Amino acid sequence: MNAVLEDPPETTGHPLAGAAMSGADVVVQVLADEGVEVVFGYSGGAILPVYDAVFRYNHEHPKADGAEPLPLIVPANEQGAGFMAQGYARASGRVGVALVTSGPGATNTVTPVRDAMADSIPIVVLCGQVPTGAIGTDAFQEAPISNIMAACAKHVFLVTDADRLEATLRTAFEIARTGRPGPVVVDIPKDIQNAELRFRGSGTLPLPGYRARLRAIDTATLDAARCAAFFDALGRARRPLIYAGGGVIAGDAAGALRDFARAFAMPVTTTLMGLGAVDTTEPLSLQMLGMHGTAFANYAVEDCDFLIAVGARFDDRVAGVPQAFAGGARYIAHFDVDPAEIDKVKRADWHHLGNLARALDTLRIYGLQHGFRPREQDRYAPWHAHLAALKRTHAMNYDRASAQIQPYAVIEAINAITRGRAIISTGVGQHQMWAAQYFDFREPRLWLTSGSMGTMGFGLPAAIGAQFARRDLPVIDIDGDASIRMNLGELETVTTYGLPIKVVVLNNAGDGMVRQWQKLFFKGRFSATDKSLHKKDFVRAAQADGFEWARRLADPAELPAVIAEFVAFDGPAFLEVVIDPDAGVYPMVGPGMTYAQMITGDFIASRQAQPAAVEAGPSEMF
Amino acid sequence: MRRIIAILLQNEAGALVRVAGLFSARGYNIDSLTVAATHDPAISRLTLVTSGDDAVIDQIVKQSRKLIDVLEIADLSRSDHLESELLIVKIGLAGLAAAEFDACMRRHPAACVVDQGAGSRVVQFSGTGRDVNAFFAELSNLAPVLELARSGTAAVGRGDVVLTPRT
Repeated sequence: MNAVLEDPPETTGHPLAGAAMSGADVVVQVLADEGVEVVFGYSGGAILPVYDAVFRYNHEHPKADGAEPLPLIVPANEQGAGFMAQGYARASGRVGVALVTSGPGATNTVTPVRDAMADSIPIVVLCGQVPTGAIGTDAFQEAPISNIMAACAKHVFLVTDADRLEATLRTAFEIARTGRPGPVVVDIPKDIQNAELRFRGSGTLPLPGYRARLRAIDTATLDAARCAAFFDALGRARRPLIYAGGGVIAGDAAGALRDFARAFAMPVTTTLMGLGAVDTTEPLSLQMLGMHGTAFANYAVEDCDFLIAVGARFDDRVAGVPQAFAGGARYIAHFDVDPAEIDKVKRADWHHLGNLARALDTLRIYGLQHGFRPREQDRYAPWHAHLAALKRTHAMNYDRASAQIQPYAVIEAINAITRGRAIISTGVGQHQMWAAQYFDFREPRLWLTSGSMGTMGFGLPAAIGAQFARRDLPVIDIDGDASIRMNLGELETVTTYGLPIKVVVLNNAGDGMVRQWQKLFFKGRFSATDKSLHKKDFVRAAQADGFEWARRLADPAELPAVIAEFVAFDGPAFLEVVIDPDAGVYPMVGPGMTYAQMITGDFIASRQAQPAAVEAGPSEMF
Repeated sequence: MRRIIAILLQNEAGALVRVAGLFSARGYNIDSLTVAATHDPAISRLTLVTSGDDAVIDQIVKQSRKLIDVLEIADLSRSDHLESELLIVKIGLAGLAAAEFDACMRRHPAACVVDQGAGSRVVQFSGTGRDVNAFFAELSNLAPVLELARSGTAAVGRGDVVLTPRT
């Protein structure tokens, strides 16, 4: 068992097949073969051979323009490397790679690995490990990475046999990108890196169970009977709604989803992770749903009679009370690639496990061929009119007359320039929700946010990784004063590599989202969330890290001009905006609340009487 | 409700940790767990006894099936199956009701004395979990129990149905 699929070297077709290489050289060669174009990582004792091999590879294989084929991007902290790999992966759809040393290097990537798992992002983390003989001896910089990561990653390999190193690396990429994508960790003891090997040039580990399950999903098709059942039910519906999630982005199904929605004149709301699956500026886009979704999207969920979930998983930020979620829907159809998501939270009346794009295309063609043409028949005209009225009546809004800078206005001002064509990354908290609510998203992979794990400090390193994936697009990190502190060291990484990233810190002097909950549920006792006495001068910090353009904006009158100058600056730019510390995120469906109990705040119309503030039901709320 | 889940697992470093870790991370309880290599040394078979309603078991099976090392998984308790568990008990001779003990052993052909010391005996028994419980309850009334080891349940489906790894 565990025999590598043995191809005689001469038949693999790889020009280096049969070449003598060290384990470290094998690592680098497989990275090159996998099309890796940038590696994010921090060196250290147990990974030195691989770093040396990257150095030699870059020296020996300069690109036509003299550039390094495998540039090493060095963060301030390995957590940064993990999030850079994620930013690269989220923006490109390709596998991001982080390369770190053993012990603390590897454990610092636990957070981005778990974060990638929770948001289904394909990354490969290569960790050095103490030599095989030293494992288990409490050696210097030793940590049980295969145990630790087993709980966090899609898969973890501890390479115990040098002969399997090459196939293991290739398999790691395969696992990361296939099925429901995710992070794969390869723990490589130093003696394996130094082993003298013969490069094969091809071959992967046998994964009979995984590959069989993958094949079943990949080859699944919708037959005529299943299509007929779907349209039979849809034919009885008057108010269908598509609820699209991050699976549409991960599955490259945005095109098929747009075609499907357009063909049948169906409105679409997306999750936080699904933003960009459809063009949010289109009339039938209802933008985001859920805890901080638009009021009109959440009302549409309440009002729909047929819900089509595509690559979405009814998580607690969307379906806080599963039995009440989409309570008017008489039929729920669910498309996914992960069998475990079907019926996990909400029972589906119809489901399909398989490639999302192919399934949506099959259904669209079947429907059109069988005379399902709601657009021509104006079948959904009353529903569309209802939604248009919801969008008008319950539009997103805020205190436009305030003397203080409103965070929403900052987002709107940036959006007026970028118009849904820039990459936006965020930290976690209020600023994240404001960005999700007030930016336009016209394409997939422009919105990078830590959705499920909610990791503060995600925004800056993710922006760095994204800029390496998309040199052609502006990359803007919308951050909070608390979130950016988590990985503030990466400001220097931006200037070290001359990346023209724009960093916005919406400074409300504390953990705004936590304060919002404390205000709502803990009678305003701001335990440990007020940073108004903190001494940080963000602008000087940015300047110290080499930002030539670094400014603090506190006067609302200057907002449009400063934003314009900031976005237009040719190079790294840092903007701290002193915002109204009392600005809240609305609408809000409180934890454990139904959409009917949504609070819309003072500036968005509600169609229900607004509930009074609730005292904490401490244990159940999260 | 008690369920028996059988898992065929690639015999990889850390594979067992990943299965056990998934159960603890997702809050599924494990009443017993046995694992050993099968006739194919590359494949281990785990038998897990757990409990939960249909929705919980459905999630246990589906989430376990996502583990890369898992070759196949089945809820054996959904159909007719055979299960067996091994019990090894060391009892003290001081206070042993000898005649009743001999009668007890005769009533349970699955039980045998496998070792005898100056002050103790080792009794081995195999059967379903319920049989083991019944036998042990009886035995512990007749002799002081010094030590006990139970294997956890091993199980296979009845009839010609065979749990094989997918290829």
